[in-house]
Amino acid sequence: MPGNRSSSFLVLCAFALAGCSAESRTAGADLPQTPPTGAQDPRAARYERNAYQVAQGGRYFTWYGCGGCHGSDAAGALNLNGKLWAHGSDLDRVYRFIAEGHGDARYGERIPVEQLWQITAYVRTLPRLKPEKRRRQDVDQVGEAQGDNWTGPVLP
Amino acid sequence: MTLRRLALLPAVLALSACEGGFQSPLAPAGEQAASIHSLFCLMMAVCGFMYLLVLAGLGIGLLRARRRRGETGEPSIDPADRGLTRGLVAWAALIVVGLTVLITGSFLVERTIAGARSRDALEVRVTGHQWWWRIQYRDPATGGWIETANELHLPLGQTTRVALGSSDVIHSFWVPNIAQKLDLIPGRINRVDLTPTRAGWFRGQCAEFCGIQHAHMALDVKVDTPEAFARWLAGQRRPAAAPADPVLARGREIVTRGPCAMCHAIRGTQAVGRAGPDLTHFGGRRSVAAGTLAMTRGAVQGWITQPQAAKPGTMMPPVPLSPADADAVSRYLMDLK
Repeated sequence: MPGNRSSSFLVLCAFALAGCSAESRTAGADLPQTPPTGAQDPRAARYERNAYQVAQGGRYFTWYGCGGCHGSDAAGALNLNGKLWAHGSDLDRVYRFIAEGHGDARYGERIPVEQLWQITAYVRTLPRLKPEKRRRQDVDQVGEAQGDNWTGPVLP
Repeated sequence: MTLRRLALLPAVLALSACEGGFQSPLAPAGEQAASIHSLFCLMMAVCGFMYLLVLAGLGIGLLRARRRRGETGEPSIDPADRGLTRGLVAWAALIVVGLTVLITGSFLVERTIAGARSRDALEVRVTGHQWWWRIQYRDPATGGWIETANELHLPLGQTTRVALGSSDVIHSFWVPNIAQKLDLIPGRINRVDLTPTRAGWFRGQCAEFCGIQHAHMALDVKVDTPEAFARWLAGQRRPAAAPADPVLARGREIVTRGPCAMCHAIRGTQAVGRAGPDLTHFGGRRSVAAGTLAMTRGAVQGWITQPQAAKPGTMMPPVPLSPADADAVSRYLMDLK
């Protein structure tokens, strides 16, 4: 069935092409961002539907030490894998909680807005991840040189 | 006229590369680079000789074919030409000899640069990041690590063993004047010995494509006398001093309590971030952002307020600061000598 084969090839190509735009981004001077205006802020799509932005959020999640308390094995309310979040899971509420809900850490003053958007997008993907994927992500993120672990992910 | 000038261009370029620049494998300033350079000269000589022979053979063949054209106008080698057969055998033998010389030369050079040198080599760690270099010196006094970034200082005439690692993707460490290139691979440690033989500033460059700012991942290398190097290292060991000037103090307050401290460390302050370069002696370095900008106050202030304009794609976010605050921060950073 050559027709069948070529059509499945076309479908594969279409998938591959669709994958290309999932990481699209522009490089250049940044425009100043502002926090989300509500749960339906249209700018959310730019971050949440873009694999690059979500992955950057994961990077900053690690760099800023979020994983210290919110790792995949965190207990109770600190664990972000669950479906129920005490402070709500809407875009604006998650953003605001990261920025203002961490007491003396004052992340809202210390993390630029663009990165808070990225971290919010990343955190909101966590409940949807399968445990294996989250574990791999942890390994990748821990691999980003930190302290004694200075040359990348060394798998157990 | 223009055409003639264009024809001169390759010659000019070739000459400018020989001039002993600060980023050129043709002007070795280190024992390892000198080995590589000798291999390059050997290959150039052997291959150049063979190239001339091939061209000469081609010319002779054309002439002979012309002279010995048969009745029909086709080239012919009837009767068999004994000289030609002998010539071809000699040719094959020459190829074997040439390749053997090259293989032997290559083996000897690799043995030289891979061989362990002095055992008490200075130990330095270099970690590749997108797109900068983390550099850590083993503290001779305490055994701990002294950290800096994007600027490697080496003592003249001594061997420094650099351990190479990467935190994200594969990079490659290459200071052409001093040594060969070697990859930085996540999850592995590679080692390269550097034995500089000439003092001065050199430039290293990431030599493995590592993302959109690969070209802006440069490394300033300073080769100094052992005494000057020891003084520099002692200076790097010191934590940052607290400034008395009110503007600098304001800059310090913003840097250590604001967004900068999330990623950057300044020893002696509350800033202990690990994701970005250590800034303890930032103002003493030669360039900003891994060789992207010269170390001037204007460049520093521009870099802080809009890094994406100078180095699009960099992980450094733009930090929204009022002009007065940005001024204080850049003054404070420049003062970190």
